[in-house]
Amino acid sequence: MDSSSFAVRCRNVIKVYDTGSQKVTALNGINLEIALGELMMLVGPSGCGKTTLISIIAGILDQDDGYCEVFGEDLLNMSIQRKLNFRARNIGFVFQAFNLLPALNAAENVSIPLIINGMKRAEAERKAATLLEQVGLGARVTALPSELSGGQQQRVAIARALVHSPRLIVCDEPTSSLDHETGHRVMALLKDVALHKDRALVIVTHDARIFDFADRIAKMDDGCIVEVKGATNRNLSFHQPTRSKR
Amino acid sequence: MNTLVRCQFSLHDKLKLSLAIRELKTMNHIAIKMLMGDKGKYLGIVMGLTFASLIMTQQPAIFLGLMSRSYSFISDVGLPDIWVMDAKVQFIDDIKPLQDTELYRVRGISGVKWAMPMYKGLLKARLVDGTFQTCNVVGLDDATLIGGPPVMLEGKLADLRRSDGIIVDIDGATDKLGKPSPIPGGKTIPLKVGDSLELNDHRAIIVGIAKVTRTFQSQPVIYTTYSRAKSYAPKERKLLSFVLVKAKPGQDLTELTRRIRAATGLAAYTQKEFMSLTYEYFMHNTGIPINFGISVLLGFIVGAAIAGQTFYNSTLENLRQFGVLKAMGTSNWILLRMILLQAVLVGTIGYGLGVGLTAIFGYSMRHSILAFKFTWELLLFSGTGVSLICIFAALISIIKVIRLEPAIVFKG
Amino acid sequence: MQIKYTLPILAVAGFLFAAYTVVNSNKPIPVAAAVAPPSSAPFKSFIAGAGIVEPKSRNISIGTPLPGIVKTLVVKVGDKVKAGAPLFYLDDRDTRAELAVKLADLAKAKADVGIEKASLVDTKTLSNLAEAITDRRAISSEELLKRRNALLISTAKLDSAKALVQQAEAALADTQTTLARLVIEAPIDGEVLQVNIRPGEFAQAGALTTPLLVLGNMDQLHVRVDIDENDAWRFAKNSMAVAFLRGNRNFKADLTLAYVEPFVVPKKSLTGDSTERVDTRVLQALYSFERNQLPVYVGQQMDVFIEAKDSSDNGGAPL
Repeated sequence: MDSSSFAVRCRNVIKVYDTGSQKVTALNGINLEIALGELMMLVGPSGCGKTTLISIIAGILDQDDGYCEVFGEDLLNMSIQRKLNFRARNIGFVFQAFNLLPALNAAENVSIPLIINGMKRAEAERKAATLLEQVGLGARVTALPSELSGGQQQRVAIARALVHSPRLIVCDEPTSSLDHETGHRVMALLKDVALHKDRALVIVTHDARIFDFADRIAKMDDGCIVEVKGATNRNLSFHQPTRSKR
Repeated sequence: MNTLVRCQFSLHDKLKLSLAIRELKTMNHIAIKMLMGDKGKYLGIVMGLTFASLIMTQQPAIFLGLMSRSYSFISDVGLPDIWVMDAKVQFIDDIKPLQDTELYRVRGISGVKWAMPMYKGLLKARLVDGTFQTCNVVGLDDATLIGGPPVMLEGKLADLRRSDGIIVDIDGATDKLGKPSPIPGGKTIPLKVGDSLELNDHRAIIVGIAKVTRTFQSQPVIYTTYSRAKSYAPKERKLLSFVLVKAKPGQDLTELTRRIRAATGLAAYTQKEFMSLTYEYFMHNTGIPINFGISVLLGFIVGAAIAGQTFYNSTLENLRQFGVLKAMGTSNWILLRMILLQAVLVGTIGYGLGVGLTAIFGYSMRHSILAFKFTWELLLFSGTGVSLICIFAALISIIKVIRLEPAIVFKG
Repeated sequence: MQIKYTLPILAVAGFLFAAYTVVNSNKPIPVAAAVAPPSSAPFKSFIAGAGIVEPKSRNISIGTPLPGIVKTLVVKVGDKVKAGAPLFYLDDRDTRAELAVKLADLAKAKADVGIEKASLVDTKTLSNLAEAITDRRAISSEELLKRRNALLISTAKLDSAKALVQQAEAALADTQTTLARLVIEAPIDGEVLQVNIRPGEFAQAGALTTPLLVLGNMDQLHVRVDIDENDAWRFAKNSMAVAFLRGNRNFKADLTLAYVEPFVVPKKSLTGDSTERVDTRVLQALYSFERNQLPVYVGQQMDVFIEAKDSSDNGGAPL
């Protein structure tokens, strides 16, 4: 397989946190490849290094050793400005706590990545509204996050992660603060709207109820990937969009 | 596919600058929304800065008002250019009388258009009810009455030529020199034109009521002619307090004061010099500047503490949001500009409200005894103070945001 | 959403009000204009002094040689009098009584002379009779001697009586002089400027603080200018001088120097108060001016400026 078909390739990635009194090895030689069009889930007990790994993959944390490339770019040796631009263009984030800006309404929240990428506000908000309609929030475009339910907020967050068409979406426990049914719907939405052949999804979770949505599941423990379940063939992992039930 | 990606990147790099500028403009909107999103905090910051700005204008305004009263008599006597007095006089109320002949010596100096005598002294007035009140008695040149009160409310200045005539200032007439009320504890009855007073056992008839700028001691001011003032004054060998000098047109005042000093050995100050001499005396010899300095400093510190603390707190609480923006690719530079914008905004609003409140305070107190002088320097002063607070608040917030690791966004 | 606009609008309003207050409250205080424009010297370098108007003759304070009650006052203020004209009369009743006594004394003395003359005739006759007797035996030599001596005595007595008449005449003249001194007369031609005595009042002899009468020659007025002794060195006799009437600088007169008082005197306050306040001495210069130039009265003060050489070069020495 040539490198261009991989969204992420990690080789022997090591990350050690120096807390002063002791050194904690968060990642201890990670080797992972995520193909384009793949939905990869990282599971494991808390403290196993999942979050550290996606932080490195998303370019917001530098590894101490090893090699990690995202879409063929070595993030570690990139200039700060280039890295910012890379993130702004290619990475979409979905967070456990949604992390919407409480002062901004849904459309404004969604438009942030576009604005960071230099789009004019009016245009960005128009595009954001269109996308919100796609995720089923066409009626709540001007609602503040505090006026939305948890599921609606996460859908806004997903819209925000998608609005600038990034090629890698990292999700941190996207369903953990949602009830089962809402979590399911959010996952269905993610898989439905987010995933297509030029894009990869990395989801950190320990919510076993959504494991079904994964193409592959990498199980981590103590900074190592202990098991990868599921087919490695990205063709197999290519999904036809399925209708989400709402 | 890889080449296509690379192409996109290089194109992106070229557009970086223009994009950054456009991004900045639109990020400002987000910054403002973030600031005003939490109304409580927003109000807290604005209130803190309003308070600081209020204290930093209101207190110095009172201070300036008080200090300007020290020389208000000099500015009230607007006509002369130069004041001649004993060389050892330290301030306006420090009267060291001169010989009458000094007047003519000053008159004889070239460059002097005219020179007029003025008596100024504290005399006891006996009121109708038998109480005594110390008054500031001002004696004006009999013929010209130069140095009279700036505004006459009743009567004319020329009425002083009537026998035993005096002019009393309105504040003194209504308050300290007023006749006792027929009802015990009632308000005093203001003196009117035609009422009489006893000044050092001499009869004095009020022929006019004047409005004068309040003086530091706020004693009633009584105007009369120079010769009458001399008869009111206790018998002394010298009674001439000041010689008021008008320079000839085109005469350099500094040169003229130098000439007067050289020729007579007296002290000669221009009106401005005499005002600042008096002002300096009060600055150096009273505790007023220190007291007000302390309250201004306290206002600054408290304002800085409240506003700075609230601003910093709000940044801390928004830290996750800044982290999200940072993770999404917002540069430190833009975050810095966002915070600065927020600081400038709250600073401007707080400043405007503060000086506005001060102005309202001063406006509502304009007829009271309170000293208040609001100058444009104070606007600058409090503006600088508020700016310092904002810069300080923004600075600590900026340091926090710049040091922020975007990775915190993944932490629960 | 409202807060977004309310606060900035309030802030702008506040700032504008503050600016308005700043502009409005710092307006300069109005300046009281001089009631009468002050006079200023028409010279570049000059000496200033206060002048007081007086008659050329100066003011004559009329005194009385004798103290006494004023009987009649024949003049009033403003009367023009000739030299020698009576001004007022003092009570002269006792002097007149004395005069009568003196006259009687004279008459008595004159009568005494007649007696002595008669007695002389008598003794002379007796003496002649005795002398005519040629027979020495007809009259004793003692008798003859007695008659001769009686004649001598009578002659001496007549001389004495004549001397007494002279004495009585002199006493009379003395009383008449006293009587004349009770009439106070004008020493010069002039005008009565002040009258401080009324009939019935007691006129004190000697120098008084308030003169009984003030007399002066008003035909020509002088202005007496006090020049501070510190400025006296700058004074030059032939320099120009101008006097301004106090209260209206449009009334001015050019002055001509009459004379300078050679004696520098202590300055008296010109405010009318008799208490001397000032311990400086002044040079007094007297100037004459055309009386019709100024509506001026004797005793009025004037502002006088005398041209002087520029002192700024060598700078008057500080005190």
